[in-house]
Amino acid sequence: MRFTARPAAAIMSLSLAAAVLTGCSEQAAGGNDAAAEGACQPSDVRLVGQVRNESNPYEASWLAGGDAYAKSVGLTQERLTYDGDSTKQQEQISQLLAGDTKCLVMNVLPNGDSDTAPIVKGADQAGAYLVTQWNKPADLNPADHATWISHITYNGVESGQQIGDALATAIGGTGGIIALQGILDTAAAKDRFAGLQASLKKNTGVQLLDQQAANFSRAEALTVTKTLLTKHGNHVKGIWAANDDMALGALEALQQQGLAGKVAVVGIDAVPDAVKAVQGGTMTATVSSDGAWQGGIGLAIGYCVATGKLAVKDIAAANRAFFAEQFLITKDNAADFVEPKTNPADFECANVFNRVAGPLT
Amino acid sequence: MTVTAGVTAAPRRRTRRGAAFRDAGPPVALVVIFGIFAALSPQFRSVDNVQNIVDAAAVLAVVTCGITFVLMMGSIDLSAAGVMGAAALTVSLLVANNRNDNDFGLLGILVAVLLGCAFGCLSGLALVLLKVPSFMATLGVSAAGLGVATLLFAGVQPNISDSMLKGWAIERFLGFSCLTWIAAACVLVGWLVQRYTRLGRYAFAIGGAEEVLTLSGVRVKPYKIAVFALAGAFYGLGGVMVTSQLGAGLVQAGDGYDFSAITAAVVGGTLLTGGRGGVLHSAVGVLLVMVLTNGLVQVGVSPYWQGGVEGLIVVAAVAAAVIPQRRRNQVVK
Repeated sequence: MRFTARPAAAIMSLSLAAAVLTGCSEQAAGGNDAAAEGACQPSDVRLVGQVRNESNPYEASWLAGGDAYAKSVGLTQERLTYDGDSTKQQEQISQLLAGDTKCLVMNVLPNGDSDTAPIVKGADQAGAYLVTQWNKPADLNPADHATWISHITYNGVESGQQIGDALATAIGGTGGIIALQGILDTAAAKDRFAGLQASLKKNTGVQLLDQQAANFSRAEALTVTKTLLTKHGNHVKGIWAANDDMALGALEALQQQGLAGKVAVVGIDAVPDAVKAVQGGTMTATVSSDGAWQGGIGLAIGYCVATGKLAVKDIAAANRAFFAEQFLITKDNAADFVEPKTNPADFECANVFNRVAGPLT
Repeated sequence: MTVTAGVTAAPRRRTRRGAAFRDAGPPVALVVIFGIFAALSPQFRSVDNVQNIVDAAAVLAVVTCGITFVLMMGSIDLSAAGVMGAAALTVSLLVANNRNDNDFGLLGILVAVLLGCAFGCLSGLALVLLKVPSFMATLGVSAAGLGVATLLFAGVQPNISDSMLKGWAIERFLGFSCLTWIAAACVLVGWLVQRYTRLGRYAFAIGGAEEVLTLSGVRVKPYKIAVFALAGAFYGLGGVMVTSQLGAGLVQAGDGYDFSAITAAVVGGTLLTGGRGGVLHSAVGVLLVMVLTNGLVQVGVSPYWQGGVEGLIVVAAVAAAVIPQRRRNQVVK
């Protein structure tokens, strides 16, 4: 045993050393590339869109928006999905950054706040252009980095309040509502619920009967809603859900109890089924962050910088990390949102920041 | 070998009274927990709510039924989430839906269940032929199932319009939804299989003492594959039932069901080491878990506390259930 173990150990340490050396040389090479900002030929740009999965409509529309943008500049988007697995996301990113990073543009949805830092660090070292969306820790700022161009997110307090107000209007300003919260330790769930509380403060006739977590899941929302409906009976006039999946689960519960159409339901995200439900009148309102735009805009910002049409130093500080505009969808304007589509004018280099709703605070 | 000898010797020492006492734990826990919630909340003890609890338990009961056979063998099965996702998408694309013109009705449901069965078979084959531990094999099959589901999903949610499948969740018979009756039938079938067929008896025996069974000339491999296939069929049906409830085929249809089902089975008194428990135990376990989730909402425990409280009660219930077996080291290791 001892004799076989030694060569094995030697081989392992040699290959480890080799791996470390390769790692170093690649980082050094990447570092040099960072100097040549904006020197890419349009045809050399490599566009990458990374989201959690293709199995939910929102992220599917994100990737579709990215594809549409890439096509408009004569390129194709590489689609990456990591199944909500942080480790897998980091592996994909390091594989990307180990290749040719000179004209690499990445539009990334980090799995969680803590996943953003290593991605940013890797992109910085390799000189790859990076736009992140939704998640970043508060103390990490794109303005402190050379190639992390922008971070885009949405004001959850605002959207939670918008649908809260729409719900209050729908039930005529008085009556009891129940709230379905998302995964309680996420910023999205916290912000959106804070928005509901702000709305309740304004609409004093509306009473929050109960609030439960249904973890952004359609199936859980179905069960929880049924339980709450037996608990509160016909005192429930409206259901506030922190995302559309839960709103659709609640709708299903209402249908099973024969209450469809009698209780108002609101959600956030504007997934196609919810938009159709709003159009059909079974749901009252939802809020759109416009996934197709998100998929295109990250690539567009990166492409403009990579090809020299936009210089990072010229981008206003307020545009390096910002809240993007979101849209309340009610029966009046639902028809415009049924098919997620992008407007090419939004992605022209002069317009890439035209949906900034305010600096990230 | 000494360990095996100890395990096989134990049943001989067991008296009939001991067996009765051992099985009484979970039902007693169920009654006690139900009683506590009923005392605390008038809504909880209403007929509507009891129907609600039973209806909510339907899908989990079917999935747990499948997983119980695997646990009885001493294997573990983590494939439920993937298999249910694949079955959900399959059935929603085969019955009347908004994506294509298919309208196969019952046949579509049958295909989805058979697909689940095929995935189970795959887990079994990987375990028996390739000697992959069941933990890894089923995790892999789960990923494969999610992959198939994602391919079928193709970016657009299929919503079902098939009136029969939708009716399963909505129409009621004697106060309970059709899904509940389907789940009850599954538990009955599962119990009959466990009690009266060679497959069920051997599943027990494999979990109790596989070596003894092999030495006495039984070829256990085909039975192992069959057990996984049976479990897969139950997951397939579970996927179909979720689709009926939600009115749409979701890739995430089986999210969390793998671990909930294992929890329910264990709370009901099925051992992870195999050879103990059974379908009826698991059914009690499912009810216990459901009463708990429902009761905590009904008595108004804050959602911020629920997860923790639920976990503690589950641990306490399992502890109470295994007290009579505490001297058997396989329970506490």
